[in-house]
Amino acid sequence: MRIWRPIVAAAALSLTLAACGSTDTPETTPTSAGPWQFTDGSGEVVKADKTPTRIIAHAGEAAALMSFGIKPVGVYADESVKTDPNLKGLDLTGIEILGEEWGKIDVEKAASLRPDLIVGDYWPAEKAHSGLEEGVDEKSKKLKELAPVVGVSQGKSIVDLAEGYEALAKSLGAKVDAPEIAASKKKFEDAVTAFKAAVATKPNLTVLAMSPADDKVYVANPEFAPELLDFQKWGLKVVNPDKPDPGFPYWENLSWENADKYQPDLILWDGRSYTDTANAEWGKKQPTWFAIKAAKANAVVSWPAYWLHTYGHFAAELDKLTTAIKAADENVGS
Amino acid sequence: MSSSTVRARRALALGPGLAVLGVILALVAFLSITLGSRDIGLSDVLRALAGLDGDGSIEHTVTVDMRVPRTLLGVLVGAALGVAGAVLQGVTRNPLADTGIMGVNSGAAAFVVLAITVLGVRGVGVYIWFAFAGAILATLLVYAIASLGREGATPVKLALAGAAVTAGMGSLTTGIVMTNVDALNELRFWQVGSLAGRYAPILTGVAPFLVIGLVASLACGRALNGLALGEDTARGLGQRVGLTRAAAFAIVAVLAGAATAACGPIVFVGLVVPHLARFICGPDYRWILPYSMLLSPIVLLLADIVGRVVARPGELQVGVVLGVLGAPVFIGIVRYGRLSEA
Repeated sequence: MRIWRPIVAAAALSLTLAACGSTDTPETTPTSAGPWQFTDGSGEVVKADKTPTRIIAHAGEAAALMSFGIKPVGVYADESVKTDPNLKGLDLTGIEILGEEWGKIDVEKAASLRPDLIVGDYWPAEKAHSGLEEGVDEKSKKLKELAPVVGVSQGKSIVDLAEGYEALAKSLGAKVDAPEIAASKKKFEDAVTAFKAAVATKPNLTVLAMSPADDKVYVANPEFAPELLDFQKWGLKVVNPDKPDPGFPYWENLSWENADKYQPDLILWDGRSYTDTANAEWGKKQPTWFAIKAAKANAVVSWPAYWLHTYGHFAAELDKLTTAIKAADENVGS
Repeated sequence: MSSSTVRARRALALGPGLAVLGVILALVAFLSITLGSRDIGLSDVLRALAGLDGDGSIEHTVTVDMRVPRTLLGVLVGAALGVAGAVLQGVTRNPLADTGIMGVNSGAAAFVVLAITVLGVRGVGVYIWFAFAGAILATLLVYAIASLGREGATPVKLALAGAAVTAGMGSLTTGIVMTNVDALNELRFWQVGSLAGRYAPILTGVAPFLVIGLVASLACGRALNGLALGEDTARGLGQRVGLTRAAAFAIVAVLAGAATAACGPIVFVGLVVPHLARFICGPDYRWILPYSMLLSPIVLLLADIVGRVVARPGELQVGVVLGVLGAPVFIGIVRYGRLSEA
């Protein structure tokens, strides 16, 4: 069964989100050589005599730290670092890759790096950090014995996550007010403003986040997808499915006979399987896919499902969505 | 009353019994077209079947393009699995034989992941052919290994060879999917036995193999009866034991291979239905085979219907339903029904 976990309903389970929201914003202390402390997503205050410098981080968290100029010595990812969207385009030279599959971390290699901090998201629902969750290899879990583990809590918003890692980076000595970081933040704020403006011009637009698969269609439950909650907060009407799978509430499962249960005006398509030709291919393969009017009208756009950690990535994805919203017809689904 | 009169009486009842099963199967098939995870009224279904509602409506699409091929596939695959199980239990004289222990499922799975990783194959329509090839190859391999040595492919050697090949193929599959998430994703769809998501192209692809295998199997009854008496007796009766065994294995490979390729591994039907058939008709394979052929699709379609209506708006895979409902039934048979030795 364990082998299923990373893929069941897409890597969602492993990479992602958690039920209860976290309101605790990590606190920081002024940076110097130490002592150092950081409030972990679990609420625990982690302390050290010296500010950590040899950091091992999970992929998305590493990308977040690197965006503030903090370079980890080692990274563990849930998939190949060549395809992980968090790491795309990042210079990984000098960083040891400690794992490229969910739940598998080379702890021996990690120990040889003599880390003084491990960074992974905290999952309130699972009460564990990324890489240390239920289902991970027992051997891999020994990672936590090498150094203190901290992370920002996965909750109700990507913005909280980005801000949390900004605070962590700051505590580790990053100059978070460096001009390129300010520029990246500005870009993000502009992207949000543009997104809100585009949404405001289409008050009747409804969108549905979906992930079609060979045996069924998955409809995402925004409650467990922080980026979808952000979209809702900014005014976009993301449909809440009415019958999420009780055992795996990230999704509602629709049989292909019921693929047209919802009629959104725009489909947010799981970015992990989205391609430019995917909609046409599924229309050909599944007799009922085009019974969804938005699919028939090719009103589909990639949805950055469950992986965002940084202002930069979120800004880029928001820009794509804003373009799609501007082009969308709010009467397709009605 | 002489035993020959008993046999004649029994045969007298078994013939009409077969006709009754045929009618039940037709009714269940009709149910399978009218019921599903989507609620469609009976009149809409009938209009769609009669072609009176035009092409555009979703009711038409679901009924004609999804439920009809799904039901036909269920009938053929069910019949194939039941017959393959009956033949295998007869030829190996092992009442617990099912196609899984002959390496069919593991061979098919290994070839699916190889096709995905090495050849970059995508899509069910393509990789079912690799699954088919893998299933046949695994069965042949089992047969070849078991045939080594003087006595030929004896039941014990077949069971051992089957276990060895299954283990080997299984580690190959695990080894690949552990390092390849794509393969794991594709395999996941295939590995839970299901009739969902299979449409006309898959049906027409495997149907010829299934039909040929089913027809050929009906000619095996007498030979399997001979083998059931023990190999020496069969030989004494002038039967060519090696030839019978080879022919029976070829039929099992084609039937189980094509069925597994199309729907993924579906257990239980092939194991239990032959016992049910034997319970009804006694030890005569000339009756066990046709009874298995009709009983199995009835069981499979009923399980599929249950899976489609209990989890709306989603569905449960028929493999899961059979596992959940099947285990207690099987225990019941073993416990109370006197599991008759083949």
